Amino acid sequence: MSPSSSRIRNVFEPLPASEVAVLWQSRFGIPEEVFSGYQFFRKAKSIWAISDTALPRLSFESLGMRIMNLKDQPWKPTTCALQVFGKHATRNLVHLDENQALHFLEGGTQEIEPDLKSDSSYVEMGYVVVFYRGEVLGCGLYSHGKLVSQIPKERRASSEQPGR
Amino acid sequence: MDNLERYRDIVPDYEAFKAIQRLPLFGSCRINTLKIQRAKLLERLEEKGIGYRAFGWYPLGLKLDVESPGKMLENLLGYIHIQEELSMVPPMVLDPQPGEMILDLCASPGSKTTQISQMMNNRGLVIANEPSLARVAPLRSNCERLGVLNVAITRYDGRDFPRGPFDRVLVDAPCSSEGRERKGPGTISRSNCTKSLELQKLQIRLLQNAVRLTKPGGVVVYSTCTYAPEENELVVRAVLDEARLEEITIEGLQSCPGITQWSGETLSDDLMRCARYYPHLNDTGGFFVAKLIKN
Repeated sequence: MSPSSSRIRNVFEPLPASEVAVLWQSRFGIPEEVFSGYQFFRKAKSIWAISDTALPRLSFESLGMRIMNLKDQPWKPTTCALQVFGKHATRNLVHLDENQALHFLEGGTQEIEPDLKSDSSYVEMGYVVVFYRGEVLGCGLYSHGKLVSQIPKERRASSEQPGR
Repeated sequence: MDNLERYRDIVPDYEAFKAIQRLPLFGSCRINTLKIQRAKLLERLEEKGIGYRAFGWYPLGLKLDVESPGKMLENLLGYIHIQEELSMVPPMVLDPQPGEMILDLCASPGSKTTQISQMMNNRGLVIANEPSLARVAPLRSNCERLGVLNVAITRYDGRDFPRGPFDRVLVDAPCSSEGRERKGPGTISRSNCTKSLELQKLQIRLLQNAVRLTKPGGVVVYSTCTYAPEENELVVRAVLDEARLEEITIEGLQSCPGITQWSGETLSDDLMRCARYYPHLNDTGGFFVAKLIKN
C-alpha cells in the first residue's frame, strides 16, 4: 500500500450499509434490515457502526461500536457486535451447554459436536456466533470440531465464578 | 477525618456524617436495558440466589449482595453496569430524550455516558469527550460491553471543546472526590481547601464552555462527588448570568439545598436550587448536582 493511501485510510470513511450487510448476510444469514438505522465507517482495518444521525464536524476518536476487523481473511466480527446483531443469525452458530458455555467464557478451546438433527447447526470453518440458553455469548472460531473462544481478555470469566 | 471539620456548619447531623465515612459501601449496579429487560435480569439473579435490593428512587438501580460484582457473568455480558448509586443521579437530572444531541464533557469511564445512551434507547447522538488517551480505553470498553451504538468519543480539552450546539450537556467535573471515601478510604485525608481552589479554576472553565456549547433553553448539568463548596456552589455561581438554576427533586432520595453562606461570604439565594447528597441521609456516597437552563 502506498504511503498516501494508508494516510487516507487512517480517517473514518463512510461505507454504504449494504456493503456491510452483505457480508453479515453471507456468513451468518442475518437479514439486511437488521442494519438499517445505523451508519457505517471504515478506519484502517476496522468497520464501525453508529446510530444513523447527523454527525457534527469534530475530530473523532471512535464512532459508535467497532463491529468488524478486516485485518485477516476471513473478516472477523467483534464479540460486542455479535451480542447486538448475532441473535438474528441463522447459520454458523453454535449452542453450548452450561459447562461448555463457562469454558467458552473463560477463553478456552474445546471440542464440540454439532447437533446434526438441527438445521441451524450447519457450521462451516471460521467465525461463529456462540449461544447459551438462547443468548449470544460472543464470537468463536470453529474448525475441525474445535471451538476457540474469541472473548476479549478483559471480558473473560475467571474459573472461580462468584455468583455464577 | 479532620479535613471534614470545615463542613461542620453546613452538613446536617455532622457527627453521623463523620461516622458513616468509615462504613464501606455495598456494591450497586444499573440494569442495562439496551441488553436485557429488568424483569429478566431480576429472574436471573433470583435463579442464581444473588441477593439484591432495588433503589427506592430508581427501579433500574440495584444494591447487590455479592463480593465481587464486577466478575458476575451479568456484568461481563453487559446486562448490568457496576455503578455507585448517586452516580446515577446526574443523567436522571439531565433527562436526555431519544434523538437529541448530548455532550458528556468529562466522560470516562462512561458510567453516566452509557446511562444517557440507554435513556435515549441508542438513538440520537452522545458525544463522550475524554482528553486523556489512557482513560479513553475504559470508556470505549464500557460502551462496547454495554451494547452502546449512539456514542462517539472525542479527545478535546473540555475547556476548548470547539463546537455545538447541544440540546443538553453534562459536566461531571474532575473533583477532589471526597464523596468517594466509603469506596476508597483515604480520599478525604488527601483533600483540602487549597486543592479545591486549584480544581475550581478548571471546573469554572469547563462549566463556562459547557454553557457556551448549549442551545438557548437547553440544559446543563454540573455534578461532582465532593462536598467542597469551592468546587460546587462557587463554580456554579460563575455562570448565573448566562443560565438559571432549576430545582432538583428526586422522589425517594433525600437531598439538602445548596449553601448560600460560605467563609463569611453571602452567596446568591438561587444556589439553594442545587442539590447536595450526603452519605448518612441515604446510605450512599456523597454528590453535588446543579441543573441549569441556558438563557
